[in-house]
Amino acid sequence: MDWLDEELKQALARKEPGADFDARVRRKLVRTTPRWLAAAAAVIVIAGGGALYRRHQGEQAKEQVMLAVRLTGAKLNRVQVHVQALGERQ
Amino acid sequence: MKIAVLGCALAAALFAQQFKFNLDHLAPKASEKVDLSLSADLLHFAANFLDTGDPDEAKVKKLVGGLQGIYVKSFEFKKEGQYTKGDLDQIRNQLKAPEWQRMMGFESSEDRETVEVWVRSENGKMTGLALLATEATSLTVANIVGSIELSSLSELGGHLGIPKLKKK
Repeated sequence: MDWLDEELKQALARKEPGADFDARVRRKLVRTTPRWLAAAAAVIVIAGGGALYRRHQGEQAKEQVMLAVRLTGAKLNRVQVHVQALGERQ
Repeated sequence: MKIAVLGCALAAALFAQQFKFNLDHLAPKASEKVDLSLSADLLHFAANFLDTGDPDEAKVKKLVGGLQGIYVKSFEFKKEGQYTKGDLDQIRNQLKAPEWQRMMGFESSEDRETVEVWVRSENGKMTGLALLATEATSLTVANIVGSIELSSLSELGGHLGIPKLKKK
């Protein structure tokens, strides 16, 4: 089993990091953080935009309903006014 | 599965527009036009945005609660004679008994204005309303699908620019 001990010793032996190890880690951190932030910001913007768009659609639908009720209500009211006037005359 | 699909199709057919307007050929002649097709989904979606704190919107919200659709086509013309009797008759011909009953109508020769109202009922329950209104230079057709309380509509008197009916 000596060969295994040797292999393990070599594998687990302390190794000094390369000269640029620290710089590489820092670079990676700097690069990773803005990406994460950008993704989060994108999610917020998309979700916010979606909510705004939905609200806009809702307001448009509301205006259409109000217009439809206004048009039909006005015409029905014309008939009712006429019928009522006839009733009052009789 | 087939029964479910058929059921959905039947439900969709029941809640869809109940007669055809066939008035698209008038659109190019009109100076102003309104074309509204509000399905049940759209009505319920819109209802979420109606403010119950506002008297007008509260009444409309109550009114549309029982509806499955509102379909309106309205045309304003710059000159007379832009629509024909045939345009009106092809609508009237679809509104036949036993489903449709002409409920009321009036004709003013002075104002050259007519308004006709039909109601659709199934199993003794009102399921729709048709409205055909004409003036010399305008034409409005509407189909309100669903259980509509005419009293709710008259409650709109004094609101939305509709004159309030006097009560005796």
